[in-house]
Amino acid sequence: MKLDPSIVARIQFAFTVSFHIIFPTMSIGLASFLAVIEALWLKTKKPIYLEIYKFWLSIFSMGFGIGVVTGIVLSFEFGLGFSRFAQMAGPAIGPLIALEVLTAFFLEAGFLGIMLFGLNRVGPKLHFFATCMVAIGTLLSASWILSANSWMQTPAGVAIQGGHLTVVSWRHVLVNPSWLYRLPHMVTAAYLTASFMVAGVGAWYLLRGKHQHFARRTLALGTAFATVLIAAQVFIGDILYGTMLKHQPSKMQAAEGFWEKQSQSPAPYLWFIVPDQNNQRNRFQLGTPYLGSIWLTHSLDGRVEGLKNTPRDLQPRMGMVFYAFRIMYCSAMVMFAVGVASLWLRFRGTLFSSRWFLWILVFMTPSGIVATLAGWYVAETGRQPWVIYGILKTADAISPVPAPALWSTLVAFVCVYAVFITAFLIFTLRIIRRGPSEVHSYAEASGSLKNAFRPYVLDSPGRLLTTNITQRS
Amino acid sequence: MRNRNHLHRFHSMSAALLGVFFFFAIIGVFGLRWAITALAGFVLGAVVVCVAFPTEDVES
Repeated sequence: MKLDPSIVARIQFAFTVSFHIIFPTMSIGLASFLAVIEALWLKTKKPIYLEIYKFWLSIFSMGFGIGVVTGIVLSFEFGLGFSRFAQMAGPAIGPLIALEVLTAFFLEAGFLGIMLFGLNRVGPKLHFFATCMVAIGTLLSASWILSANSWMQTPAGVAIQGGHLTVVSWRHVLVNPSWLYRLPHMVTAAYLTASFMVAGVGAWYLLRGKHQHFARRTLALGTAFATVLIAAQVFIGDILYGTMLKHQPSKMQAAEGFWEKQSQSPAPYLWFIVPDQNNQRNRFQLGTPYLGSIWLTHSLDGRVEGLKNTPRDLQPRMGMVFYAFRIMYCSAMVMFAVGVASLWLRFRGTLFSSRWFLWILVFMTPSGIVATLAGWYVAETGRQPWVIYGILKTADAISPVPAPALWSTLVAFVCVYAVFITAFLIFTLRIIRRGPSEVHSYAEASGSLKNAFRPYVLDSPGRLLTTNITQRS
Repeated sequence: MRNRNHLHRFHSMSAALLGVFFFFAIIGVFGLRWAITALAGFVLGAVVVCVAFPTEDVES
């Protein structure tokens, strides 16, 4: 069997980036969650918040580590599998990635040590400052990467001269047409992911009858955040849909599952299709009558544009885009339903005793990751056959590397990443099984910024190093 | 007791489905201005419920 290097390069990048995105999504969400929890601890001085902080800090740190390592691989893959893309787009993409390292990574690297190991060594306010800096670092990182990726979706601010891109406006490269909507969409997705993880773990403890106080507090926080965030996410997603319809109509045409230039009137909203790309039709389709017109055109008899509006050689594969979009959309609906149900149960005072709802929350624990992955599949497969929309095709961006070489590195990635994910799951599940330990607030909230910057001694809880030295002398 | 549990579950699920229908209908059908109003109303309602009904200390 003859292997097509462009397909293997795409499979390799799809695998590594899909694996990678799970971890930044968790760490962006958990970093901000930890900052909120530490702020609550400093404000209320209740030990429960320190307990929650320490518990989720362990899981955050593992996710963060794997996220950084697997992210570095992606930069190398530009050279390994997509060197022609790197050569052409380097002037625009390169500085954005460099800026991510200079701002986000440096900020995170500078404060991560204090965040992870400094709880007993520095004052609580300095520690809180470090947590905030790490949280801001993750947001900055997301911002640069989303800027680079959004530029590939909706390129702006460049001119093509002799087959090379020249940046004519950095402002337009950075704030390209889709970045303003895709960034909040991704960040909210990360926050939702963390919220459902936190609520799911709390629900699990309640079902097992363990760590009741911890479980109630985390479940209450997780469901409250998730309810507000999912409403915002649906709203942001709707605006992003309109933006992408304007800039990348072929993606949204594929996402809705219609082929004809104008759909029937009234248009159904399709939930299930068996697309036949070669014959440009659906072999089978199942939808809700009228709903397509109502949702997509805001009228009872509006027609929806189909994929035949895009020339055949510029069409994305409909099946992948359609189902990825449906998974994301249906996940959002289920999340919203769970959020509303949590409000109702809270109102009735049975949020912690409705076992059926607790089981739903447990099953919803990875829902944010599933929805985020599906969203990225919509973004990336819907952009095909372009790697830089309207400028460079994916087939023209591939490195002149033989397919077997790409396969061998893909197999190596799969093996190494299998070790990563196994280790992550083993340690995370072990932390969850053991539960939050009985923690004491070694670094007590003093309320004084001056004291906050004085170091603490690990084995002398609550005592300042200076006091210790004075006693010894 | 069993019937009461089933009724309670039915109420919760109905509330959830109604909420989804209401919100998605407003965002999908009536356009941006109503969507912003619906979002603000929903978030405000959610915050009020979360603050006014702190169930954490209620014995189940």
